[in-house]
Amino acid sequence: MSIVKTENLHKKYPEPGKKNEFFYAVNGTSLSIEAGEIYGILGPNGAGKTTTLEMMEGLTDIDEGDAWIDGISVKQAPYKVKKIIGVQLQANEYFDHLNLSELIALFSQLYKRHDDPLDLLDHVNLKEKARTKPKELSGGQQQRFSIACALVHEPKVLFLDEPTTGLDPQAKRNIWELVKNLNNKGMTIVLTTHNMEEAEYLCNRLAIMDHGKIIAEGAPQELILSHAPEPPQAPLYGNLEDVFLALTGTGLRE
Amino acid sequence: MNLTLIMTKVFLKIFSRDRQAIVFSLIFPLLMMLAFGFFNSGETDPIAIGVVDNANSSLSRDFIASIDANPLFTVTEGDETSLIVQVINGNLGLTLVVPKEFQGNPANIDLRVLIDTSQTAQMNTVVPLLEQALVQVERDLRNLEPLFDLAIVDVEARTQTYLDFLVPGLLAMALMQIAMGGSGFNLVEFRRKGILKRLFVTPVQPKNFITGLVLSRLVIVMIQLSLLLGIAILLLDITFIGNIFNLYVFIILGTTIFLSLGFCLGSLAKTQQAIMAMNMLLTWPQMLLSGIFYPIDAMPSVVQPMANLLPLSFVVNGLRGVAIEGANIITLFPNIIGILVWIVIALGFAIKLFNWKEVAT
Repeated sequence: MSIVKTENLHKKYPEPGKKNEFFYAVNGTSLSIEAGEIYGILGPNGAGKTTTLEMMEGLTDIDEGDAWIDGISVKQAPYKVKKIIGVQLQANEYFDHLNLSELIALFSQLYKRHDDPLDLLDHVNLKEKARTKPKELSGGQQQRFSIACALVHEPKVLFLDEPTTGLDPQAKRNIWELVKNLNNKGMTIVLTTHNMEEAEYLCNRLAIMDHGKIIAEGAPQELILSHAPEPPQAPLYGNLEDVFLALTGTGLRE
Repeated sequence: MNLTLIMTKVFLKIFSRDRQAIVFSLIFPLLMMLAFGFFNSGETDPIAIGVVDNANSSLSRDFIASIDANPLFTVTEGDETSLIVQVINGNLGLTLVVPKEFQGNPANIDLRVLIDTSQTAQMNTVVPLLEQALVQVERDLRNLEPLFDLAIVDVEARTQTYLDFLVPGLLAMALMQIAMGGSGFNLVEFRRKGILKRLFVTPVQPKNFITGLVLSRLVIVMIQLSLLLGIAILLLDITFIGNIFNLYVFIILGTTIFLSLGFCLGSLAKTQQAIMAMNMLLTWPQMLLSGIFYPIDAMPSVVQPMANLLPLSFVVNGLRGVAIEGANIITLFPNIIGILVWIVIALGFAIKLFNWKEVAT
C-alpha cells in the first residue's frame, strides 16, 4: 500500500497584477509513494513543487482533489496527518532567545514526547552546539538542525523542501548521508530539489514537474534511459565538483 | 501537557529573556512618575523678590526679615536701579521699595511694587500673597490678634496630590503600550520568520497559539504593572485606598482589549515599520484624550463625548476609581461594560483578520 498518495491535486492563485484572473500553481497532480522510498520532486522554479508538498502537509488549502498520508485524508483530518509527518521548510528561522536544545524540547512536547534533546542533536552531529542559538549556526548546521526538529516524533513520512540549496559540497554530502541513514531505518522521505546529482544519488523514484503538472515519473535510471539523449562521449574525468572535493576534502567545514 | 499551556510557557520563556524589551517598556512610565513625584511634590516654588531698603531702620529690617521668613518668598536686597534690571530680565518676580519714612511708628506709608507686567503673568496671584504677608507683618508689629482665620477642611478627609491622580493613568498608559506593542509585533515577526508556518505543520492549532500568546502577555503585563505600582507606592508614597483585586480586574480586562487590538494590527501589517505607524495612530490620540494627565471634564466640550468612549478612558477611569476613590467593580460597572464592549469589538476584528492560513504563507 502506498503511504503517500495524491489524486488530482489543484491549487489556484490570483494572477499577479490582474484582477479576477487565476493561474494553477498545481494543476492535477496525482502521485503514489511507497513506504520506505525516497521520492524526489524535480522541476524549475515556479513549477509547483513546494505548493504540492505544502498541500500534502496540510499547510496550503487543497482547492481540488485530495492527499492521503498513511490512508488519512489531509482534507478531512489535517491534525491527524500532522502527527505522523515531519517537515523541514525552506525558511528555517526559529524563536529568538531559545537554544537548540530548548527548541528540540519544545518540538518534542508539541507531539507529547519527552525524549532527551541531546540524543537527537547527537544524531545530527550538533550535540556540542546544544546551547547555541540557531542563528549562530552555519548553513549546513542550520539545515541539519531543521531536519532534527522534523524528527522529534519519529515521523512515518519526512518532507524535505530543497534540503541542500545553498550549501557547500561538504555540507551537501553530509545531508545526503543523513537522509540515506534515515531511509535505511525505514523512514519514507519526500523531497524537492533543483539538484540533478542529488536526485540521482538519493531518490528511488522521481517526478519531474513543470507548469503545475508531473511531466515524467520513474526511477532515475529509467528516466535517463527513456528521455536523455546519448552523451556525445563518455567523460574521461570527473567534474569540477570532484576536483573541489579532492582538493578540499570531504570533511565538514563549520 | 496541554498544547496551549506549552505555548504559554514557551512564550513566557522567550519574553522573559528579552530583558531589553521588559526594561525599556517600563522606563517611560517610570520616568514620568518619578519626574512628577520628585519635582511636583505639591509645594509651590518660592517667588524671588527684590527689596530696596531706603529707610534702613530697625522697623524696616524687622519687616524685611519677616518677609524673608515667609516660605513663599526669597528676598534679594539691593539698590533700586540694579534690582529693576533683574525684574526686567526675569530673575526677580517684583521689587518692593521701602521708603525712608518706614521707621518709628509709621502710618499710611506707600510701599512701591515694581513689576514688569509683560513678564509676570502670575502677578494676579503674587500681589494678594504679598498683601497678605504685609498684613501679617503689620499684625506682628502692632501685636494685633487676627479677627478671622480660614480653617481648611478636606471633605474627602484624605490628602490627594496630582501624583495620586496621575499614577493610575500612567499605569493604564503603560498597559496599553506594552499590550499593543507586544502582541502585534510578535505576530508580524513570527510570520516573517516563517515560525507560524513551521508551527502549523505540528499538531499546534491556531487557538493554542493565540491563547498561549495572550496568556503569556497577560502574565508579563501584570508583572510589569505590579512593579510600577510597587515603585509608586513605596518610593513616591502615593495614596492607594482601593482593593487590589478590583485593580487587577481592570488590568486584566484592559490588557485583553489592547492585546486584541494588537492582534488586529499584527494581521493587517506586513512589516514592522507598518505596524509601528499603525500603533502610533491608535495609541497617541488615546494618550492625549483619555484623561491620563488631566481629567476629560477639563477638555473642550466638543471632544468630551468621544474621549469618554475611548477604550483607554474606561481603563483609566476604572484604575483611578479603584486606586484613589476605593471604588469596586460594582460601582465602576459602566466602565466594565465599556471595556467589555471594546473587547468584543477588538476580539471580533482580531479573529476576522487573523487568518492562520494566510499568516502561514
